[in-house]
Amino acid sequence: MSNSLLFGISIFVYFFSMVLYVSYLAFRSEGLGKVATLTLLSGALVETAALLLRWYESYAMGIGRAPLTNLYESLVFFALTIAVFYLLMEWKFKIKTVGAFVTPFPFIIMAYASLNPNEIQPLVPALKSNWLIAHVVTCFVGYAAFAVSFGVSVLYLFKVKAENKPGGKRGVLQEYLPPSELLDEIGYKAIAIGFPLLTIGIITGAFWANVAWGTYWSWDPKETWSLIVWLIYAAYLHARITRGWRGEKAALLSILGFAATLFCYLGVNLILSGLHSYGGKS
Amino acid sequence: MKILLDNGLPVQAYSIVLYYEIIGGDSHRSRGAGEGRLDDREVFVPDKEKATRVDVIDRIWGFFTSLRLVIVLLLVLSLLSVAGTIIEQNKPLQEYYRLFRPETVEMFLKLGLLDMYHSWWFTSCLALLALNIIACTMERYPSIMKGLKTPNVVLDEKIEKGLKDPAKIKYHLPAETVEKRVADLVKKIFPARPVITETEDARHFFYEKGRYTRLSFLLTHLSILIIFIGAIVGSIFGFKGYVNINEGETVSTLQTRKGENKALNFGVRCNSFNADYYETGAPKDYRSDLSVIRDGKEVLRQTIRVNDPLTYEGITFYQSSFGALPDNVTFEIRGKNDASQSTVVAPVGKQVDIPGGGIRIEVADYREHFHFPDGSEAGTAIGVNIFRPDAEPEGVWIYEAHPERNSHFGYAFEVKGVKLRKFTGLQVNKDPGVWAVWTGCIMMVAGIMMAFFTSHKKLWIRIGKDRKGRVELTAGGMANKNKYAFSSETARLFDRFREVT
Repeated sequence: MSNSLLFGISIFVYFFSMVLYVSYLAFRSEGLGKVATLTLLSGALVETAALLLRWYESYAMGIGRAPLTNLYESLVFFALTIAVFYLLMEWKFKIKTVGAFVTPFPFIIMAYASLNPNEIQPLVPALKSNWLIAHVVTCFVGYAAFAVSFGVSVLYLFKVKAENKPGGKRGVLQEYLPPSELLDEIGYKAIAIGFPLLTIGIITGAFWANVAWGTYWSWDPKETWSLIVWLIYAAYLHARITRGWRGEKAALLSILGFAATLFCYLGVNLILSGLHSYGGKS
Repeated sequence: MKILLDNGLPVQAYSIVLYYEIIGGDSHRSRGAGEGRLDDREVFVPDKEKATRVDVIDRIWGFFTSLRLVIVLLLVLSLLSVAGTIIEQNKPLQEYYRLFRPETVEMFLKLGLLDMYHSWWFTSCLALLALNIIACTMERYPSIMKGLKTPNVVLDEKIEKGLKDPAKIKYHLPAETVEKRVADLVKKIFPARPVITETEDARHFFYEKGRYTRLSFLLTHLSILIIFIGAIVGSIFGFKGYVNINEGETVSTLQTRKGENKALNFGVRCNSFNADYYETGAPKDYRSDLSVIRDGKEVLRQTIRVNDPLTYEGITFYQSSFGALPDNVTFEIRGKNDASQSTVVAPVGKQVDIPGGGIRIEVADYREHFHFPDGSEAGTAIGVNIFRPDAEPEGVWIYEAHPERNSHFGYAFEVKGVKLRKFTGLQVNKDPGVWAVWTGCIMMVAGIMMAFFTSHKKLWIRIGKDRKGRVELTAGGMANKNKYAFSSETARLFDRFREVT
């Protein structure tokens, strides 16, 4: 199948972009940085092509559906949204050094996806809805924003800890990382984009559930976990906006939020049971 | 090393302003000193007398409007919710007894952990959140309304003092020319026409954009209350139920989830049910052709699918499940002794005679995938009650695929055919509160978008004369959010003002 070939290529491209970003961090050569960005961009392009091809192939098979409906497809889409979201943030904030902390995500996620079955399966009746694309896309772009915020927050903590080491010299690497204020700010900006998207994702999901099952909210584990994620980021935003929580506390909340996001996305499917059929249990 | 952001400002400076950036930070007491100078009409100045008077009401009010309560509530609600996803909710009691020790189940029941999202303590947390939202909204309301009023449209000394980096430019041009050129330049940022005021010595131009963004606080917070109201209305005045309808049959009562029987004002007939499958055997489409019957007449006919329900008089029918029940079963029955053979058609639930034997049978049950006691697959099995004269009736299983096991009381049974009747299973739902929920959702999204991506921008321009009689332009802007981006935007605009010749 040619879409899986393209997905396979994108795994390697993501791998190289990760290596390049890490070496950019180590050697600090502008040229290396440019190549790293271009490699990540081409990885995202190859993956986009793979997704479109998969979509096209599903039509050729007479199934005809958006490639967003099972664990494999959601994983590859998640990897793509993280790559694209990071590229946008890099372009806006000029923060190439953060790449070494974010680009492992697309690679690891794609590698994990390749372990899952990837045949194009037809849609079960419950998934045949126009809400599918709106629901999945908003949720995953939101998740990607949280992933970027997580990467930046980890980097922030790492940097602040090194800066505050008593008597310790500031390493060359430290000097080279973006100022911690900027990291803190990007961590926040990413959440400010992810939060509205998650909100829309939850609402479209509720609307869809109401059309399909007659209840907009049934405290299903997936719904509940998405609410937990929403509550954590809502707490983050309130603390930050009205009390000015920033720095370490904000970074820790962002990390907690992303941990909850990951559990909502994967943990619920692999460990708990519920209405979202992809994943281990069905 | 200094990193410049896209607006050309050093990061250090940027981050200080950020403290005050989104949603305005313009009411909470916890603000640092000096912030809010830009818009001092909105600064919250606690009344000293009031602050020192510590009475109960103040304390309660302080508790309900404190940020700590918000954060604690949000985190407590998420922690409680986690518990509800670990212990599966609302399962039949037997399942809990299978998984846990009886004492544990008793304890769970007492604590309401098996239906925790409806327990008194979870509901109380939600109620506390609602009170918290109401209190915070009341506290903020005056300042929001103030921000919504038309601001002072004249650039007087008081406003000028409050402006950050105002521009003062002198021209050797007639005032009308400056006015016209400047108006053209401003149009790119503020498309709306200015409010023009003439005072003794100058003309004042007031431009404004995005005043509505001040509503974002009200929209986001009231939306949650409206969603809560919708949920409450739905649970009081609505119901959720379930009904199976055989093909060709009409029903007008159904069972609610609370176990009550609910009579409808109309009947629903299932004309047919169909399931389609892909070649792989995966389900493709489930659909029921339904008719709404009122006073014996069909008033509506519609085919429903999983994502396409039918609504009539506020009651919605969702395709939820399906199945088949036998109408009758045809047996071939052979007596062991006399080798007589007869074919019997037994309708479900009715006793029929077996010719020449004096015994009667009744089809009582039907299982498509039955298992033998040892766990092996038995295929279709039919539960039959056998009535013998002078004996208690006895139930036996007759296997379609295993005639060798079907000898009972001297008779050998063989299943010759099962006439099935399909039924469709419908979820039935009435929720008069759902519109409030959707209204709340739309308000929330609109409010969040406004809060994060728009700001209230104001620009004052005064064109007058300086002491020497030259034309003098004074200009300054103000924004309630993202102030740094706006002040760099106005700085660029003022640079262009300076270039006017």
